[in-house]
Amino acid sequence: MTVGGGFVGANPLLRWSYLVEQWDTVQTAIVEHVQLTLAAVSIGFLISLGLAAIGLRFRWTIGPITGFSAFLYTIPSVAAFGLLRSVFGTSLLTAIIPLVGFTILILVTNILDGFRAVPAPVKAAADGMGLSPLRRVLTVETPLAVPYMINGLRIATVTTVGLVAVAAIVGFGGFGRLIFDGLNRTFWTPMTIGAIGSILLALLFDLLFFLLGSALTPWARKRPA
Amino acid sequence: MTGTLTLAQAAVPRDITLTEWLGDPDTWLGSSGILANLADTVTLCLAVILTAVIIAVPPAALLAHKRKAELASAWLVNIGRAIPTLAIAAFLVPISLRSGFGFEPWPIFIALTMMTLPPLFLSTYVAIKQVDAGAVDAARAMGFSSREVLLTVEVPLALTVIFTGIRVGAVQVVATEPIRAFLGGDGLGRYVRDGIGQNNDTLTVGGTVLIAALAGLTAIAFTVLERIVKPHGVRRLRSDARPRSTETTYEDDAPEVPEPAGGIDAATGRLR
Repeated sequence: MTVGGGFVGANPLLRWSYLVEQWDTVQTAIVEHVQLTLAAVSIGFLISLGLAAIGLRFRWTIGPITGFSAFLYTIPSVAAFGLLRSVFGTSLLTAIIPLVGFTILILVTNILDGFRAVPAPVKAAADGMGLSPLRRVLTVETPLAVPYMINGLRIATVTTVGLVAVAAIVGFGGFGRLIFDGLNRTFWTPMTIGAIGSILLALLFDLLFFLLGSALTPWARKRPA
Repeated sequence: MTGTLTLAQAAVPRDITLTEWLGDPDTWLGSSGILANLADTVTLCLAVILTAVIIAVPPAALLAHKRKAELASAWLVNIGRAIPTLAIAAFLVPISLRSGFGFEPWPIFIALTMMTLPPLFLSTYVAIKQVDAGAVDAARAMGFSSREVLLTVEVPLALTVIFTGIRVGAVQVVATEPIRAFLGGDGLGRYVRDGIGQNNDTLTVGGTVLIAALAGLTAIAFTVLERIVKPHGVRRLRSDARPRSTETTYEDDAPEVPEPAGGIDAATGRLR
């Protein structure tokens, strides 16, 4: 191995012309990365809402639910992708199932925290005003739990962006594909684009959810720090 | 330097069953056997965890003791979480090569350490902060210096929680380390890599089992360690002092400020 051979001249960290010539490849990577991330987080959020609803209705299930999500969360990503590949082959399921599984712990705990943080007097007041339990949950408790949900979505999305890149080991994974393509050919340009692209995407999602959070909770903005 | 991506496992036939593969001594021994790769993985993970603890825990404890940099810590953690480990490791590969450190293991070492620092910092910070205010005030009243309060009161009382943070971080490190095999290294992840590369499900599943087993063992080992390090005084305290605590409950009733709005907490509002 010629260490750093031609590193500066022929093989720079980033060859700008690649962005123009290979824009199709880059664009495909961006689209795939965003799609996989959003798909995994959306499915994960729906599942987590269901699990949280069960947990809030039947309190004794909270322990098992969070325990199981915590178990899912600690499954090594490479192991999860590898195992499912031997079951589903190169199907999309191989990539999406682990990605969804990794979001559930973060989302469920945040949703549960959100509902449990609703002050008891607020619930009593809603009951006193004659709201049915269902309306109380939907019109009083849910809005108050929104900041927690957004926070959970924010963490889950940002984490997923990083894990989507790992899904490239089973043939999916947007920027991850560029990363491994560059590594295998020791051609740094696609690798740099893949690495910086996924970092920027994570930061972008982080910012978007931060803005969404403050847009959805106008009452929290005026609170003195 | 294990930089070459040669298929040393090419000898593994595809129709071998998992028990046959795991039962074959050759699978375990030798320079590319499971034991050698396990040693590789464990060494790297231990190095990462030790480094992260040394870098993150002392400053977090000190800052929490002084109640400083609360908002900054929250932001640091948020930004740290946004950094994808694989991307960092990959980005460091050419830099490591240029600096003459080779493909491996520095990029993955640095990336894993960076991944571990923010949560470890936050859990230590919170652990010190949540120490019973009464204990701290009592120590002060008895004339303990600020340093003594931190080292002999706050740290021992927070030790269990700090170790929980270390355990979570360690499991996360072990669970993430296998991507090293896809970045030009080896370790237990190599079996998954080779299995995928050779379309050999036995290797893939075998590697998966090994990685998952190590992650599970790590969790158990650190849980045991957690019990061992708990100071004797605190151990006795736990059993009879808990109901006496006059602190208001932090649980269900107290509406805590959500993390994005109020930093780490702001709920306790303790006078210093």
